Amino acid sequence: MIYDRNNLPEELLNLPASDFEALYREDIKDEKFQTKPVGFFKDAAIRLTKSKVSIIAFIIIGIIIILAIVVPPLSPYGFNDQNINAKYLPPKMPIVEKLGIMDGTRVLKSRKVSALTDPERYPEGSVIEYFNVVTVKGQEMCDVRIDAYKMAGVPDNEYHWFGTDYLGRDLLTRLFKGTRISLLIAFFSVLTNVFIGVVYGAISGYYGGKIDLILTHFAEVLDGMPYIVVTILFMILFGSGMVSIVLALTITGWIGTSRLIRAQFYRFKGREYVLAARTLGVSDRTLIFRHILPNCVGPLITRAMIAIPGAIFSESFLAYLGLGIKPPNPSIGVLLSDGQSVLLQYPYQTVFPAILISVLMIAFNLFSNGLRDALDPTKRGEE
Amino acid sequence: MAETMKSEMMNAEAAGAAAPEKDVILSVRDLRISFRAYGGLVQAVRGVSFDLYRGETLAIVGESGSGKSVSIKAIMGILANNAIIESGEILYDGKDLTKVKEDDFHEIRGHRIGLIFQDPLSALNPIMKIGKQITEVLRLKKGVSKAEAKEKALELMRVVGIPDVEQRFDQYPFQFSGGMRQRIVIAIALAGDPEILICDEPTTALDVTVQAKILEQINQIKKDRNLSVIFITHDLGVVANMADRVNVMYAGKIVETGTSEEIFFEPAHPYTWALLSSMPDLQTKDRLNAIPGTPPNMIFPPKGDAFAPRNAYALKIDHEKEPPMFKITETHAAATWLLHPQAANSRVEMPASLKARIERMKRSGGFNG
Amino acid sequence: MLKYILSRIGAMLLTLFLIMSLAFMVVRLMPLSLFENPETDPEIQRKLEDKYHLNDPIPVQYFYFMKDIITDLNFGISVKIRPGLDVFNILISRLPPTILINFISLFISIPLGLIFGTIAALNRNTWIDHVISVLVIIFISVPSFIFGAVLQYTLTFAWPVFPTLYDSQAVTFAQKMHSLFLPIVALSLNPTATIARYLRGELIENISSEYLLLARTKGLTKAQAIVRHAFRNSLIPISNTLISMITGIMGGSLVIEKMFAIPGEGGLLVKSIFAGDHFLTVAVLIFYSAVSLVTILIVDLSYGIIDPRVRVGGGKA
Repeated sequence: MIYDRNNLPEELLNLPASDFEALYREDIKDEKFQTKPVGFFKDAAIRLTKSKVSIIAFIIIGIIIILAIVVPPLSPYGFNDQNINAKYLPPKMPIVEKLGIMDGTRVLKSRKVSALTDPERYPEGSVIEYFNVVTVKGQEMCDVRIDAYKMAGVPDNEYHWFGTDYLGRDLLTRLFKGTRISLLIAFFSVLTNVFIGVVYGAISGYYGGKIDLILTHFAEVLDGMPYIVVTILFMILFGSGMVSIVLALTITGWIGTSRLIRAQFYRFKGREYVLAARTLGVSDRTLIFRHILPNCVGPLITRAMIAIPGAIFSESFLAYLGLGIKPPNPSIGVLLSDGQSVLLQYPYQTVFPAILISVLMIAFNLFSNGLRDALDPTKRGEE
Repeated sequence: MAETMKSEMMNAEAAGAAAPEKDVILSVRDLRISFRAYGGLVQAVRGVSFDLYRGETLAIVGESGSGKSVSIKAIMGILANNAIIESGEILYDGKDLTKVKEDDFHEIRGHRIGLIFQDPLSALNPIMKIGKQITEVLRLKKGVSKAEAKEKALELMRVVGIPDVEQRFDQYPFQFSGGMRQRIVIAIALAGDPEILICDEPTTALDVTVQAKILEQINQIKKDRNLSVIFITHDLGVVANMADRVNVMYAGKIVETGTSEEIFFEPAHPYTWALLSSMPDLQTKDRLNAIPGTPPNMIFPPKGDAFAPRNAYALKIDHEKEPPMFKITETHAAATWLLHPQAANSRVEMPASLKARIERMKRSGGFNG
Repeated sequence: MLKYILSRIGAMLLTLFLIMSLAFMVVRLMPLSLFENPETDPEIQRKLEDKYHLNDPIPVQYFYFMKDIITDLNFGISVKIRPGLDVFNILISRLPPTILINFISLFISIPLGLIFGTIAALNRNTWIDHVISVLVIIFISVPSFIFGAVLQYTLTFAWPVFPTLYDSQAVTFAQKMHSLFLPIVALSLNPTATIARYLRGELIENISSEYLLLARTKGLTKAQAIVRHAFRNSLIPISNTLISMITGIMGGSLVIEKMFAIPGEGGLLVKSIFAGDHFLTVAVLIFYSAVSLVTILIVDLSYGIIDPRVRVGGGKA
């Protein structure tokens, strides 16, 4: 709507004269930022805590770590306490047992009905019910649900929440002892990888030129070696054990980190502020550690976090190949591999470590995804 | 015969008071567009109306965030998913473009209305040969034979000033300079033979020397092909040599509209004053006047004149009541209370330095002094 | 381009050389017992001494070890698993099932991954996308051997639809597929999810790109623009994930073959490791390395062919 100034409508005529007072304000300034400046890590932390998924993943990881620390010493059983009488006991957990699961019972198939009353074979109270009675060649056969604990003559107050293995070792204790070992392996292998990768990548990226060329080519040749092959050869050479697993995972594991660091160094070493510091006579070491490296921290943390589930996976993978840690020490992989061999008879031996490793891997992946998004500088300031 | 005469006259009336003899090709009526965002609804365009006449160049000038790009995205039907067209219509060829479905819009895009992008560096597909990017639309939509399409593409490449077209045809975007890429983008826009060409800051990303050449090229193409052009820019200097008419936008509204001469020689809105004052000028040693303050938060647009908080010449009423458009001449109008008859008493005038500058421009007969 | 190819091949050969050296160390330095074990058949013992030139100094042995492999594909003889048999022949005889499950897994997961990735990207932030995302994170996180175990227990024992172990009596392709179905599923979940996740990200980025907008403003329909521009451009970076996918499938098949008793290379490797039959182990590992190096080379080179920026030798833009 365009108004003719000489022919204005009613509502625009005779406005109060004071409205047309000119203000002539001279104090117009660019608006100050009303918010406080937020540092990189604070900003990342804010965004991380806004992601519900990341928080849940973080809590799950925390709980599993705490259980790995607390369960083995608090458990009435040692992780290597053998009890020949109590082998292959199914899970039995107080309170939950009343629900009809994890109650220490097991179904035995095709048993003679007549033998059920034989106290030699079925001690008193061990037979709970029998069903599917069929007559085969004049013999009455049935499936029978038995209380494995009573049958093994284990005291009533003895509970193995996750059951026992072929040596009667308590699987709950072993699982969390194993979790502890797996996490330690993952942690240390990632730590060494990051350390080597940072040093190698920093030297390569900072000095450039011939040194860089040689180092990069060496890394490239090493990187071509399939990591499965290298780790297996290495494990055979140096034997099983925690230290060799950590070293085996390090041989090619650091290359990705070094590449990342090298790229970051190339990006930042030409920046004005670095050149300025250099003209002021700042030493190489200070330049590397004070001026350039801090720029790499974000991607480095993300990378390390993503590498942890990878290392946990590798450990279990090696365990499946019989190249895990030294017995009798458990790890998640060793428990899984042991469980696999009796999967169809005693599935509970696989179920618990399988759930644990799955939950742990999912949690680590989700958390590192969240961390990556939070530390991504292009997403700064987003909610 | 009489019927058509009559309807043309009615059309002219509908187009407002401006230039009744001209033929309206595209008409935007009271367009309102908002975006869903975290903080609420961002009111990007708040009631914009303008007409584009056949054969003219219409410039839309404003800061980033003034709603100019959003308006033309609405015309092209390429608004982001979180955009809502709240009201208004875009009339073209008897259709309201705001109501055209996505499934049909591709008949208009490129073929009737072409768009030249702001950033030629990212607008071309990096892994597709230049030639294919130009001929694609001919082959797919017009059913032209391969040889014919190539012939036409080579012709277009010559038109936009690409040397060695035969060889360039089979090259990839990364083998082209920024200016060359923008020429390719123009060639692509022309491939569909549109009658309206929208240029969205086509030279902003380019070197100044290349800018001038590209603008010249667009002008030439416009004349040769009898195109109607909408030219979006934040740079009044660019507008001066290109546009027949200018719309100045601020905070989602058109605050001043007029012919180029009127906007440059007789600006009426304080925002236009500020824009003109902030144009670089070789003649004087005056300090370049940046516009103080920041554009308003469009989730909560200020009441009154949106420019008032940054306006040194604001009247009291500017802070309270939104000014309507006041007619200055048949072609010139501005939304400022300064044009209200009662404002005469307040004696607010454009800054002296700007006045001097306009005088100088008038004498030398050019906008750029 | 030629220089690029040659340098890639050079690096590859160097890598293979490194692996073989490591392998020699394993064979020669580790299992002295293999050579001096009194239980070993004296016949084999003599053969071994002959083959490995045990009376020569180590560097000479190293030379013969390399030469035998390079010129004759002679990896030595099996000591424990099939005593006296030529390792290379054992290797060849176990090839078919491994090739079958690896290739089928790869060729199932690529199209499935592309389909799910596209569906997720086109339905971004809808429930379809969310469901796919949840599945993707599960399939990427949980190792294939867990899926193997779950599938084995549920579908072969609790509800016996498939055979628990590989049916060595299977003759026809259908029979073989029936007994290889679960291992292939277990192996395919992770690579499918990897591709889907990657493609979704790439597609979303490309769909919101300027050049897709240009493709639309020049008059292509949305579908034409997405297929001709966004999809094609997304496939280029995807080819990079192929390397890790293929090595991932091969690694997974080691455990899966053992789990389902498939008479392939993976099972052979695991058996030989457990038995300490190092010649066999080393041969399988060198085989694996060669396959994975060739894959890397092929992907690298085809990357150069698909992406004009690499082929023509321009910068990134």
